[in-house]
Amino acid sequence: MRIVKPKQLEQLAAGYRKTAGKHKKTVTVCCGTGCLAKGAQKIVDAFEECLNRRKVKDFDVEAVKKTGCHGFCEQGPLVVIEPQGIFYTKVKPKDIESIIEKSIENDEVIEKLLYTNPQDGRKIEKYSDIPFYSHQRRIALRNVGKIVPSDIREYIAVDGYKALAKVLTTMTPDQVIDEITKSELRGRGGGGFSAGKKWRTCRNVAADVRYVICNGDEGDPGAFMDCSIMEGDPHSVLEGMIICAFAVGAKQGYIYVRDEYPLAGIRLQKAIAASEEYGLLGDKILGTDFSFSIRLSRGAGAFVCGESSALMRSVAGEVGEPRAKYIHSVVKGLYDLPTVLNNVETFVNVPVIINSGADWFKKIGVAKNSGTKAFSLVGKVRNTGLIEVAMGTTMREIIYDIGGGIIDGRTFKGVQTGGPSGGCLPETQLDLPVDFDSLTKAGSMMGSGGMIIMDDKTCMVDVARYFLNFLVSESCGKCVPCREGLYQLHKLTEKICEGNGTEEDIEKMEKLSQQIVVGSLCGLGKSGPKPLLSTIKYYRDEYLAHIRDKKCPAGVCKNLIAYRVIPETCTGCMACVNACVYQAITGRKKEPQVINPDICQKCGACAAVCKYNAIEVS
Amino acid sequence: MVTMTINGKLARAKEGEMLLAVLRREKIDIPALCHHEAVEPYGGCRLCMVEITKKEWAGGKNMVTSCLYPVEDGLIIQTHTTDLIELRKTILDLYLARCPNTPAIQDLAAQYGVTQTSYEPVTDPDDCILCGLCTRICDRMGFGAISAVNRGHSREIAPPMKNAPPDCVGCLACALNCPTNHIKYSDRGFTREIWGRKFDLVRDAKTGQPTITKEFADYLSKHSDIPRDYFELKDESHRRETALSLGKIAIWNREVPQ
Amino acid sequence: MTHKLDKLPEIFARHPQDPSSLIMVLQDIQQEYRYLPCEALLQTASVLGVKLSKVFSVATFYNAFGLAPKGEKVVRICVGTACHIRGGALIKDQIEHHLGIKAGQTTGDMKFSIEVVACVGACAMAPVVIVNDKYHGEVSVGNATRLLKG
Repeated sequence: MRIVKPKQLEQLAAGYRKTAGKHKKTVTVCCGTGCLAKGAQKIVDAFEECLNRRKVKDFDVEAVKKTGCHGFCEQGPLVVIEPQGIFYTKVKPKDIESIIEKSIENDEVIEKLLYTNPQDGRKIEKYSDIPFYSHQRRIALRNVGKIVPSDIREYIAVDGYKALAKVLTTMTPDQVIDEITKSELRGRGGGGFSAGKKWRTCRNVAADVRYVICNGDEGDPGAFMDCSIMEGDPHSVLEGMIICAFAVGAKQGYIYVRDEYPLAGIRLQKAIAASEEYGLLGDKILGTDFSFSIRLSRGAGAFVCGESSALMRSVAGEVGEPRAKYIHSVVKGLYDLPTVLNNVETFVNVPVIINSGADWFKKIGVAKNSGTKAFSLVGKVRNTGLIEVAMGTTMREIIYDIGGGIIDGRTFKGVQTGGPSGGCLPETQLDLPVDFDSLTKAGSMMGSGGMIIMDDKTCMVDVARYFLNFLVSESCGKCVPCREGLYQLHKLTEKICEGNGTEEDIEKMEKLSQQIVVGSLCGLGKSGPKPLLSTIKYYRDEYLAHIRDKKCPAGVCKNLIAYRVIPETCTGCMACVNACVYQAITGRKKEPQVINPDICQKCGACAAVCKYNAIEVS
Repeated sequence: MVTMTINGKLARAKEGEMLLAVLRREKIDIPALCHHEAVEPYGGCRLCMVEITKKEWAGGKNMVTSCLYPVEDGLIIQTHTTDLIELRKTILDLYLARCPNTPAIQDLAAQYGVTQTSYEPVTDPDDCILCGLCTRICDRMGFGAISAVNRGHSREIAPPMKNAPPDCVGCLACALNCPTNHIKYSDRGFTREIWGRKFDLVRDAKTGQPTITKEFADYLSKHSDIPRDYFELKDESHRRETALSLGKIAIWNREVPQ
Repeated sequence: MTHKLDKLPEIFARHPQDPSSLIMVLQDIQQEYRYLPCEALLQTASVLGVKLSKVFSVATFYNAFGLAPKGEKVVRICVGTACHIRGGALIKDQIEHHLGIKAGQTTGDMKFSIEVVACVGACAMAPVVIVNDKYHGEVSVGNATRLLKG
C-alpha cells in the first residue's frame, strides 16, 4: 500500500487510532534489553498462555504490546496498564493471571506490584506520578516504551511521518534548513555542533552525489540511549534522516549500527522494509519527485568507528582509521563526497521540530542549549534507567530527584559523563546545569549521554586506569601521541594502582597528557587524557594516598588491600570456601576460616556470600 | 598563487599545495618521518606539525600537520615555537620507548636533546616505527602485499596470515624506503629472500649478473609495453647499449668525428 | 577441524561484489562458522576484488572477528564502565581462573571461549555476562562461575 498523498496518511493515521481504540485497555510489556535480560519474554509468554485459556471481554493477545525500553530499568520487568498508566514493577510470570483478573477484567490495582516511594513508603499507582518519571521531559524518547517498534501502523497512529509529509509538500529544502538552524538543535552525539549549520554547509558544496549517515555506533560504555531509540522507535530515526536528505539533496543514506546491538539492526531493517512498502522511503516518496534510500551498515567492534571519518571508512569496507579533518566530511566524506553525519538522537528530534516549530523547541532548555538530552543513568545510583531531561537541569536534580540518590546508603563521590572522552565531576559540581557548554567548561563533556554515578567504594585512580586501558585497546594505532602516549599513561596509572607510583609521576602524566591533547590526530586521542586529568584535578588526594600512604581509600586496588576473616564473628559455615574460585580460604567446619593472602585475588566473593559480616577489607 | 608568511618571511605557493612542500622548498628543517613524495600524506608521526593563524582569527591559533594542510592565502605560520619543539621532543621520546636501539630515531631524537626515553620501553623492541610508508608504497606500486595488522599498540606491519605474501614480487620498494632499515632482505646469487618468500632473479644476458626478480619483470612487462626480454639486461647494460647506439647515430650524422 | 565452507557462495551472493561489502561479508562468515577460516579470507579477497593483505588488515582490526575456532560455549563478559564499577573486572578474573584461559582464548577441549565486550547496552543490569546469546544480569562475584554450568 503506497501512500501518494498527505491526505491518505492522515486518513490512515485516523484509521489506525480508531482500530487501536477497540481495546478499552492495553498492556505494555517493556522489552528493552534490560527487561529482556530480566525475563520479560517470559512475561509475554505468560500473557499469551493465559489469554489462550480464558476469554477476556474487549481484550486479547493483540492488546499486549511488546515495546522498547520504558525507562525505569531498575524496577523491571515492567508492565503498564493503559490508558490509565497503572505501573507494575518487578513483575513475575505468576503475577499475570491476577493482573488479567484484577486490572483488565476489573478496575482493581494490585498493591504489591506497585512502586513504593522510598521517601515516604507510599505506593504510587501511575508512573507519571513517580519522581523518576515526573522530572523528565521525553521528546527524543517520546515513543520508546509506548509503541510496538516493529509495527509501522503504531508509528503512523502517533503522527509518524506527518512531519515528512509537511516537509515534502509545503516546504523547500532551504526552509527546512532554516527551521532546524533556528531551533539551535546541536549534535546529540557529543560534539554539540549546530545541526542546521552542518546541513547548510553540505548543501552548499557543489556536487551531484551526497550522503546522509546516521551514527548508531554508541561506543561509550555505559550508554544505551541510542540503542533504546533504534530498538524502540526505529521509524523516527528514518523520518529524521529522510527530512535531512531532502534538505541537503541526498539520494542515499546509511545507518551505521554497532555490532553489539543486533536487535537494533533487526528492528531498523524491518522498519526500512515497511516504510518502503508504504511509499515513505525509496522511490518517489509520498508521490513526490524526491527519492531516498537507506541501507544498514554494521559496525564490527571498534570504538574509534564512532568518530565520523573512521565511521565513513568502515562503511566503505575499510579499517576504521580516522583522517585529519582539515577538510570537513560535510565537504569530503564518504567516498570523498559531501556527507552529513548526525547521531541517532539528533535525527529523532527533527520530526518534532518540524511539527511543533523551532520556537517551541527553543523554549525548552537554556540559552544556546535548546531541547532535551537523553541519558543512561547507571552505576551506584538507586534508580538506574533511561531518562530524558531538559537541557540545563542540574546534576543534583538528575542524581537525587530522578535517580533517587546513592544505593546502599553510601556517599556520592563522582559522576562520569562523556564516556572515555569525558571526565568525572565531584560533589562540589553537583549544581552544575547539564548542558554542552557548562560540562565542557568544568573539564568533562556531554558526550553521547552516558552518566555513571560513583560512590565512595569507587577508586578514582582505578577509574582513570580503566578508561586508559579501554582507550589503549581501542586506539586505531595510526598516530604516535595516541598509540604510544596513551599506552604510557596507562602504564603510569597501573604503577600508581600497584602502589609503586611517585609524585613526579603525576606531573609526568599531566605533561604527557597536554602533548597528547595537542598532537593527536582525532578525538579519541585528543580527549583520551580527559578522565585522567579530571580525576587528578578533583581527586588529587586519592592519588596521593596511593603514592604516599600506599593505601586505596575506596578499597579497590588489589595490591593495596587485604581481605581478612574476623575470627570472633566467623561461624565456620564455609560458604566463603565454596565461593572462593581461587581456593584461598581454608579451615574446618564450625571453626574460623583463614584467607591466605598470597593466593587471595581480592575479588570479594567471600564477603558477598558471608551472611555474618565476618569478612573485612583493609 | 597564494601568499603566506612563514616564520615572519613572505612565501608563495601554488593553490592545492600542502604546507610541508612549501616549507621544504623554503629550506625549513622540519622532520616528517611518515612522509614520502611518492605517496599520499599520512599524518601519522605528527612531527611536521606547525602553528597557523590568520589575521581574521584575532589571535586564535591552530596546530596542524603540514603534510596534510592545503595552503591558504594569508596564512601565518610558525614552525619552531617552544610549544612545537616540546611536542616534537615528546613524540621522539615516545618513539624511543618503542625503538630504543634504532639509529635513525636515536639521531633525530638527539637533535631535539632527547638521548633516552623517559617512559617505559617495550620488551623485545625492533626498528619498526609504524610509519606505514612500506604499505603505502607497496599499494602505490600496485601490489598491496603487506599491510598494517591489528590495531593500537599491538599494531604491526605484516604479510597476510603472517605467512609469505602471495602478492609480493620482491621489488624491494618497501625495504629501500624504510626510514629505519627495519625491513630485511637478502640477495644471494640468483635468489632473493624477503618477507619469508624466495624469489629467483633474472640473469643479465650480457654480464651474467642478477637484475630484478622474475615476478617483478613479469608484472612490469604485463602492465606496460616493455617487452619481457628487456629485463634480461641490467640497467648498466642497457645504458651501455643506449650510449653505443647514440654514439653510432652521432657519427652517422657527422656530429662526432669518427 | 576443517570446515567444508560450502556456505561461502551463498554468503557472497547476499552482497554487492565490491570492496565496500568486505566487513558485511566477513561478519556473515564469522556468524556462520564462528570464526574466519583462512580459506574463507582467500576466497573473499578474490570474489570482492580486494587484496588479501587488506582483508587480513580488516579481519584483525575489528573486535568482531576471530581467526581461531571458538568453543561450544562462548562466555562474553561485559567490561563497560557500569559493569566495571559493579565488579566486572573481578568476575572476569574469576572466570579466567576457573577455566584456565585468558580472554580471547579457548580451552583445550574446545568447550569454552572467553571474550570481553565493552558494553552491550544493558547497563542498568550491570554486571552482565552473556553465555551463547543468553544474557545474565546483576551477576555477583559470589556465584559468577555458576553460569558456566548447564
